[in-house]
Amino acid sequence: MTTPPDPADLRFPAESMLTEPVMGEQIPVDDEVTARPGKRRSNSQFRDIWLRYRRNKLAVVGLVVVILLIVTALLAPFITPYDPREQNLLNAIEPPSAEHWFGTDVLGRDLFSMLLYGLQLALLVGVLTMLGSLLIGVTMGAIAGYLGRAWDGVLMRITDIFLAFPYLIGALVIVRSLDPGRTKGVGPVIVALVILGWTTTARLMRGQVLALRESEYVEAARSIGASSTRIVVRHLLPNAIAPVLVYAFTSIGVAVVAMASLSFLGVGVSIDTPEWGQMISQGFRNFGVPNTSFLWVFPSIAIIITTLAFAFVSDGLRDSLDPKLR
Amino acid sequence: MSINRAGWLRATACVTAAGLALAGCAKKENTGTGETQPSAGWPETPDVQIVEGKPGGTFRLGIVEPTAIDPYNTQESEGTMVAYQLFTGLVRVEPDGSVQPAVADKWETNDDCSQWTFNLRTGTKFSNGEPVNAEAFKRGWTRATVKTAASEVSYHLKGILGYKALQDGSATAFAGVDATDPAKLVVKMEEPDCEFYLRTFHPVFSPVPTVAGAADNKTYNDMPIGNGRFKMSGPWQHDRGIKLVRNDDFGVGEKAYLDAIEITITPNGAQDEMDGFVNGTFDWARMPTPQFSDMRNKYEPEGKWLRKSTSGMNYLLPMVTQKPLDSADARKAISMAIDRNAIIEGVFKGSQIPSTTIVPPSFESAYQSGVCTACSYNLDEAKKLAQESGLTPGTTLNMQLNTGGGHEEWMAAIKQQLEKNLGLTVNMTAVNFDDMLNNEQQPGATGLFRAAWSADYPTPRNFLEPLLATSSIGAGPSEPTTGDNRGRYSNAKFDDLINEGKASKDPAEAVSKYKEAEKVAIGDDLALIPLWNRTQNRLIASDKFVNLRMDFSENPDFSVISIK
Amino acid sequence: MGKFIVRRLAQAVLVIIAAMLLLFLALFTLGDPFATSGDKAVPPETQAALRAKFGLDKPVPVQFLVYLKNMFTGDLGIDFDQRRPVAEMLAAALPYTLRLAAVAIVLDILIGVVSGVIAAVWRYSFADVLVTILTTLAIGVPTFVIGLTLRKYLSGELFFPAVPRSAFGPEPFWLAEVLLPAITLAIVDAAFIARLMRGSMLEVMRADYIRTARAKGLSERKVIGKHVMRNSIIPVVTYVGIGIGVLLGGALITETIFQYQGVGYLLYKAILSNNNPVIMAVCAFAVIVFVLLSLLVDILYAFLDPRIRLS
Repeated sequence: MTTPPDPADLRFPAESMLTEPVMGEQIPVDDEVTARPGKRRSNSQFRDIWLRYRRNKLAVVGLVVVILLIVTALLAPFITPYDPREQNLLNAIEPPSAEHWFGTDVLGRDLFSMLLYGLQLALLVGVLTMLGSLLIGVTMGAIAGYLGRAWDGVLMRITDIFLAFPYLIGALVIVRSLDPGRTKGVGPVIVALVILGWTTTARLMRGQVLALRESEYVEAARSIGASSTRIVVRHLLPNAIAPVLVYAFTSIGVAVVAMASLSFLGVGVSIDTPEWGQMISQGFRNFGVPNTSFLWVFPSIAIIITTLAFAFVSDGLRDSLDPKLR
Repeated sequence: MSINRAGWLRATACVTAAGLALAGCAKKENTGTGETQPSAGWPETPDVQIVEGKPGGTFRLGIVEPTAIDPYNTQESEGTMVAYQLFTGLVRVEPDGSVQPAVADKWETNDDCSQWTFNLRTGTKFSNGEPVNAEAFKRGWTRATVKTAASEVSYHLKGILGYKALQDGSATAFAGVDATDPAKLVVKMEEPDCEFYLRTFHPVFSPVPTVAGAADNKTYNDMPIGNGRFKMSGPWQHDRGIKLVRNDDFGVGEKAYLDAIEITITPNGAQDEMDGFVNGTFDWARMPTPQFSDMRNKYEPEGKWLRKSTSGMNYLLPMVTQKPLDSADARKAISMAIDRNAIIEGVFKGSQIPSTTIVPPSFESAYQSGVCTACSYNLDEAKKLAQESGLTPGTTLNMQLNTGGGHEEWMAAIKQQLEKNLGLTVNMTAVNFDDMLNNEQQPGATGLFRAAWSADYPTPRNFLEPLLATSSIGAGPSEPTTGDNRGRYSNAKFDDLINEGKASKDPAEAVSKYKEAEKVAIGDDLALIPLWNRTQNRLIASDKFVNLRMDFSENPDFSVISIK
Repeated sequence: MGKFIVRRLAQAVLVIIAAMLLLFLALFTLGDPFATSGDKAVPPETQAALRAKFGLDKPVPVQFLVYLKNMFTGDLGIDFDQRRPVAEMLAAALPYTLRLAAVAIVLDILIGVVSGVIAAVWRYSFADVLVTILTTLAIGVPTFVIGLTLRKYLSGELFFPAVPRSAFGPEPFWLAEVLLPAITLAIVDAAFIARLMRGSMLEVMRADYIRTARAKGLSERKVIGKHVMRNSIIPVVTYVGIGIGVLLGGALITETIFQYQGVGYLLYKAILSNNNPVIMAVCAFAVIVFVLLSLLVDILYAFLDPRIRLS
C-alpha cells in the first residue's frame, strides 16, 4: 500500500524482516531506487562481490555460522546422542549434565538432540519458504512489471490484499484453517508463510523490472526481435535479481522466527515434533517450576544465533552487491 | 470437519522422519520406563470434622473465566460452582454423594416412574423478594429449554414430556411440568426414569424469578438473582472477577458463615491459582501436575493439603467397531501393555491411583475393584493377545488427545510404551478439545482417544449408560454419533442390565444390575480402557479457615467454611 | 490531490472487503463448532437451535453479507462461548491495546531517534559502535524471547506488577502494568528506528544542500537540528506509522506472555477455544486498522512528495 519516498529506506527492508515478523513484513520497498540498469555479471564481478563481502567482518562470521548450521543440521542424525523423541519419564526436567548436555525436557527427552533436530526443521522451513516465495514472487513481479497495464493492476491489488494482513495474525489464521488438528507437519506452516511472504518479493521484482524495462539494452534486445519470454528470462531476471536475493536471504530468518512464534502460540507442527517454538513454550508453561529456565533458554539462544547469522550474511550481501549503499 | 477428519487419519509425514531413518548410527539408550514399584498413590486426606463456625471473613480463590453463571447455560465446573452458590434446587448432594432434600422436602414417583411429584417448602424467597414456588421452577426449566435459548445443557431435561416441542420451537410452554399448586411440582416423563430426582441436582433445574426474563437477558446473565446461600454483590466483571456476598434471607437451610467469596478470574488456571496461593492471594488452589510433589511436601506438614478421590474417571476411548481395536483381545493387549504405575511414578510423581473400573470408588456401593482384569501391566499376556487379535508389530494405531489440558506428557508416555512393548506404529495427534470430540464422532474414527468423564448426577448409571449403551450412540454405522457413546460399543446384555436397573425403584437392586453391566462392558469386553481414578489435590488455607472440604463438584463447600 | 485520496480510499475499501471475505471463508466454512459441549455430546435439536442462534443456518454468502451489514451498525455478533457481544469484548480490550501501543511508540521514538542521532552525529565514536552492536543484537532476538526474559526476571520485582495478579488487590497504576510489555515491543522497534535514523541522517548529511548550509557558516547545531533532522525523519515516520497499525491490531505474542488484556490476548484466547466470531472480529479489526494507517501514510507522503501522486 505504501510507497516511501526516501532512498534511505532501501537499506532497511532486509533488516526489518528480523524484528517481530508482524512489524517487519510490511516495510515497503522503494521501486525506483532499487532498480539499477546493469549488465550481466561476469566472473570478475563475482570476485569483486566477494572482495567487498570479505571486508564486512560480521558478514564473514555470519557466513561461517550459516555454513556450520547447515552442516550441523545435515549431520544431526549422526551427532545427536539420543533419539530426540525418545522419552524417559523417570528422568524428566533434569538440568544440564554430562549425560544430557542441555538437560532433559518434561518428557525426559534429550534437549540437545531436540535442539539439533529443531535446527533441521527450522532451516528446512526457512529455505522452503524462501524458495516458495521467490518462485511465486519473482514470477508475479516479473509479469506485473513487464506486461504492465491490467496485469500489473490486478496482480498489485492481489498483493495489496495479502499485505493487508499483519504477518503473524495472517499466518495464524491460515495455518489454523489448513491444519486445525496439527497433524500435517510443517507443510501448512510453509504454505502460510509463502502466501504471506511472496508479495514483498513480487513488489521488489516488479519495481526492478519496471525500471529495467525501459533501459537501453532491453530496447536493443527488443529491436533485434527477441521474444518477451527471452527478454524477461535472459535480460531482465539476471539484472533484477540482486536485491530480491538479498531480501530472500533475510526472509529465511523471518520464517524461522515465524514458525517458532506460531508453535509458541499453539498452532502449527504437532506437539511431539522437536521444534524450537514448541520447546520454548514448554519452558513458558513451566515458568512456575524453579530451576527450569534451561528449558527455554537453549532454544532461544539457538533462534538468536540463527537469525543473527542470516542477518549478517544478508547485510554483507547487500553491501557487496551494491557498494553505493554503504 | 472434512479437513480435520482427512487430516488426522492421514499419517503425519514429518520432515525429521527422513533424518531419523538415516540414524543407523548407534544411539545411546535413553533408558525407558521400565519396571517400577507398584504405585499405591498418595493417601486421601482425612475428612474434616465440621465444627460450629462464626460469621465473617472473605474467602478468596481463582478460577478460569466460566462460560456462564446463569443456570440456563452453566456447564463447566467453574460456572456450576458459582451457580450452586447463587441457586438452591429441588435436591442437594452432600460431598459423599448422598442426596438430601433442598427446596423439595420430599418427592415421590408412580409405579412406572413416568410421573414425579415434588413437595416444595413454602415461604422461601429469591434474594429480590420474589417467592420460590413451583412456578419459579417451571419458569427456569422452560427458560432453559426453549429453542431461542439454545442452551448447551438443556439436554439434562430430555425425557420430560414437552421437551422436544420446546427444543424445536413448536411450543413455548413446558407441557409436562405442572405448577398449578405453588407447593407442588408435578413432572410427567415421556421417557420414564426412576432416578429422575437425581438429575434435578444440575443447575439447569434451578428456579428463577420473573426478573430473569429470557435466556439472552444480558443483565441477568451477568448478575443472576437466585435463592442460594450467596448472592452477587455486583455484576460479573468479565476476565476479572466475581464477588459473592452472603444471602441473609436464605431460607432452605443454615446460612453461610462467610461474609463474601472473592473469585478472581485467572487466565492460566492451576498455575495461576497455585502462584496466588503461595503468595497469599488465594485461600484455595489447584496446581499443575508437575508441582504436586513439591507442593505436597511443602504444605502437607502444615495441614494445608487436601486430597480426595472424586466422582470421575480417566480412561482411553477405543473405537470398538473399527480395526485394529474391534476385538476385546486387542483392547486387552493394549491395556496390559500400558505400565500405569511407571507413568504414575514418572509423570504424576506418584500422585494418581491406577484404576481397574469405570465406575469410580466414590460410589462405595457400586464400586467393584478389579472388575477390569486386563488393567494391570502384563507384558507376556499383552504380546500373546496382541498376536492372536491381529495387533501385530508394525500395525498402525491412531491416538488422539486434546491440547491445553496437560495430557501431552502421559499420552506421549503411553504412545512410547505401546511402540516399545507391542511394536505398534502409533500415530499420535493433538488437537483442540472441540476438534477431538468431533473426530471421535465420525464414523471412520479408529484407534484410541484420550477421555475422561465425571458425574453429572450422583449415580453409577451416569458412568455406564451414556458411555456404553447402544442407545447412546445415537447414529447409524455411517453417521456421526450424536450421543456420548462415541466408541460405538453395543452389547444387548449390557443394555438389558442397564434397563433393568433403570426400571428398578429399589436402589440396592439397581446397583447390583449396574455392577453386572460393568462386568460385561469392562470386565469381558473392555469397551473403555480405565487408566487412573480421578483424584483432586488442593492447597487450602487451613490457618485462616475451618471446615475446608470439597463438595461433590470438587469445589470448596462454601456452606460450611468459616473463619477460625 | 482529492482525486488521489478518493482513488486510494476506494482501493483500501476493496482490499479490506476482500481480506475480510478470505477471513470469513477460512473461519466459518470449516468445522462444526456445536457438535459437543464440554465432554458431552450435544443432541441434534440443540445443535439446530445453536446454529440458528449464531446465524450459521444460512448460506455462507448470505452470512457474509449479513456480517458486513451488521458491522456497520457496530454489531459484530455474539461469541460462541459466553454469548457476549463481540463488539463489547473488543471495546473492553481496546483501551489496553491503545495504552500499550502509545507507550511502546513513545519509547520507540525516544530511544530510537536519540540513539540514532547520537550514532550518526558522532559517527565511528564509541557511542556509535555501541549503538550498532546493541541494535544488531536487539534486531536478532525474537520478541517472545525478550518478553519471556522480562516476565521471568522483572514482573513482580521493583514496581512492576506480578503476572498474574488478584482482581481484588489494589489496582496497579496502568503505566506500571503496561511498561514491561511496552519495553518488550520497544526494544526491537527502537533498535530498528535507531538504525533507520542513523542511516537516513548519514544519507542526508552527504547531500549537497547540507554542504551548502555548512558552507554558509551555519553552526553545526543548526545544521543538524534544522536541516538534517527534519529531512531524515521521514522514513522513521513511515516506520512508526505502519508500526502503530501493527500494534493496534494486537501485539499477539507480547500480550499473551504478559497476560495483558488487550486485543492480541483476546485473539489468543479465542484461538484456544475455537471462538470464531471473536477471531473474525479481531482479525478484521487488525486488517482495517492496518490498511487505513497505511493509507494515511500514503496520503501523508503524497502531500510531502507530489511525484508519488502521479505514479
